[in-house]
Amino acid sequence: MKRLWSWAALVIGALYFLLPLIGTIEFSLRMRRGAYSLDAYRSVLADPAFRATFGYSVMMALLTIVLGVVLVVPTAYWVRLRLPRLRPVIEFVTLLPLVIPAIVVVFGYIRLYNTSSILPLTGTAGGTNILLLCGYATLALPYMYRAVDTGLSTMDVRSLTEAAQSLGAGWVRIIGRLILPNVLGAVMSGAFLSFAIVIGEFTMAALLNRPAFGPYMQLLGANRAYEPAALAVIAFAVTWGCMGVMQLISRLAGVRKTAT
Amino acid sequence: MSFLTLDHLQKSFGDTKVVHDFDMRVEKGEFISFLGPSGCGKTTVLRMVAGFETPSAGRILIDGQDVTGLRPNQRQIGMVFQAYALFPNLTVADNVGFGLKVAGVPRAERGPRVAEMLDLIGLPQMGGRYPWQLSGGQQQRVALARALAPRPRVLLLDEPLSALDAKIRVSLRNQIREIQQQLGITTIFVTHDQEEALSISDRIVVMHRGVADQTGTPREIYNHPTTDFVANFVGTLNRFPAEVLDAATGRLRVGGTEIELGRPVGPGPLVLAARPEGLVLAETGIPAEVTGVEFLGSVQRLRARAAGQSIVMDRFNAPTAALPAPGETVHLCPLRSHWMVLAQPEAEIV
Ligand SMILES: Nc1ncnc2c1ncn2[C@@H]1O[C@H](COP(=O)(O)OP(=O)(O)OP(=O)(O)O)[C@@H](O)[C@H]1O
Ligand SMILES: [Mg+2]
Repeated sequence: MKRLWSWAALVIGALYFLLPLIGTIEFSLRMRRGAYSLDAYRSVLADPAFRATFGYSVMMALLTIVLGVVLVVPTAYWVRLRLPRLRPVIEFVTLLPLVIPAIVVVFGYIRLYNTSSILPLTGTAGGTNILLLCGYATLALPYMYRAVDTGLSTMDVRSLTEAAQSLGAGWVRIIGRLILPNVLGAVMSGAFLSFAIVIGEFTMAALLNRPAFGPYMQLLGANRAYEPAALAVIAFAVTWGCMGVMQLISRLAGVRKTAT
Repeated sequence: MSFLTLDHLQKSFGDTKVVHDFDMRVEKGEFISFLGPSGCGKTTVLRMVAGFETPSAGRILIDGQDVTGLRPNQRQIGMVFQAYALFPNLTVADNVGFGLKVAGVPRAERGPRVAEMLDLIGLPQMGGRYPWQLSGGQQQRVALARALAPRPRVLLLDEPLSALDAKIRVSLRNQIREIQQQLGITTIFVTHDQEEALSISDRIVVMHRGVADQTGTPREIYNHPTTDFVANFVGTLNRFPAEVLDAATGRLRVGGTEIELGRPVGPGPLVLAARPEGLVLAETGIPAEVTGVEFLGSVQRLRARAAGQSIVMDRFNAPTAALPAPGETVHLCPLRSHWMVLAQPEAEIV
């Protein structure tokens, strides 16, 4: 009886997630009247705006990950090593992006860095890209920080640091050669979440008027019928593909460890 | 001129003074143990030598060079930690070669040096393994090789054996001592295990509340402790309050029995003390009531009460000799050469 209920729960849960997905896929294939076809996909992939915006967002996502790693790994490491009492404070700060809406952050940026400010970043496309990148890094911060901090908790940061120091190593080598490789798995999971967030992000990109994938999806959704469904499926597949690749990378890193 | 000089080191954390006035000179190639109870400041002194803590006062000199202001990675000091602290993402060979790589030693020279180090610790086949594939004892040996590979000027070990089980502890401590003598490296070894310190050190520093209470060879520390604390902390000590009858000849009364030491003592009252192996059973002597007998193989340990004190007496196993039974009254006779006279209440010993 109990088993039956758990199976029922599983089935209901699966239906809850799968039905919309199946519905979307099915709908995306019905562009040609009376027959299933990939016309919607062809149409999306042929659209140069799709390629441009998607490429832009992927690029931004990768840069966000790099910025996030450069920002978070040394910070989390330093807090654990030297400022353990500040950990709750830092943790709270990194959680703020979950509480403060993106729109508030963007308006803050625009006010602070507008063309009549000391640092007129919004004046040029490059400057705005940097602003957007910083915004994305902020959005990814809670996930990145938690992942890295959890990764750090699995090792004896202080002893490892002191051992490396007594062997003559400086900070750059300690962080680059010892700390980062040891939290790589954690960094990967943080990176995946960052990627997923950036690819779908709408508010910041739209308000800063950058040609990102999020606004493109919105635009397409407002004007077409079948293409948005195809786009959703593509975005979904890309996201899962990324997750697979990252799993693979961390698995490979693990295999290198196991093989002797 | 000594090789390593700790010149009146002091260390405070906030308001609490942890190391008071630590002054010591270590010769080149010497093996020094810091021995003391938990919290006495052993690790703190060691970390000051390594550069992880800055002394509040005092200087540290290595080979005549003042290193007090140098950062840890500039001091050329090898360190072995209680928790091994091997780099988990590197193989054993890469761990051992890490210090060489940092020092810019070319790959072609690193390989042979790493192999030599792995040979030294008796793990020549393990270079390709990762730390988690090794036992605790093996990991600690790799940590030792890693510390020694860049030819440090001083080797520091902070309770390197505490995380290991008893049998490996003994064999590894002997191995550490062998390697140390082979390389002739100046070494400081921190431990709270007196047997460890007594068995492998050239000299022992007994620490107590941030001060070096006594520095001396293991035999000096054990046989001629100069403070009450050292006498009690190292080895077991039986103490008998004594009344001085004749200070010039050393005639004392202990528990109703007269004892003649044959050497002058200070004015009383005194405490007469002896190690468990410094007491023998005899026809006459201090009467004692046996409270327990332990058979430890090569040694028999007798627990008794005499002159109002609990005492412990050790004697070698003798297959034919009868063991006293608990409750029995025996007489303890002092072996003259073993007695120590502790002044009361001042902690001075003749
Ligand atoms: N960073 C620190 N901040 C404040 N107090 C400290 C710090 N490090 C050590 N202490 C204090 O200094 C004293 C000596 O510590 P230390 O670690 O040197 O002792 P130890 O002799 O190595 O003891 P154990 O045998 O337990 O390792 C302890 O009372 C400890 O609480
Ligand atoms: Mg300690």
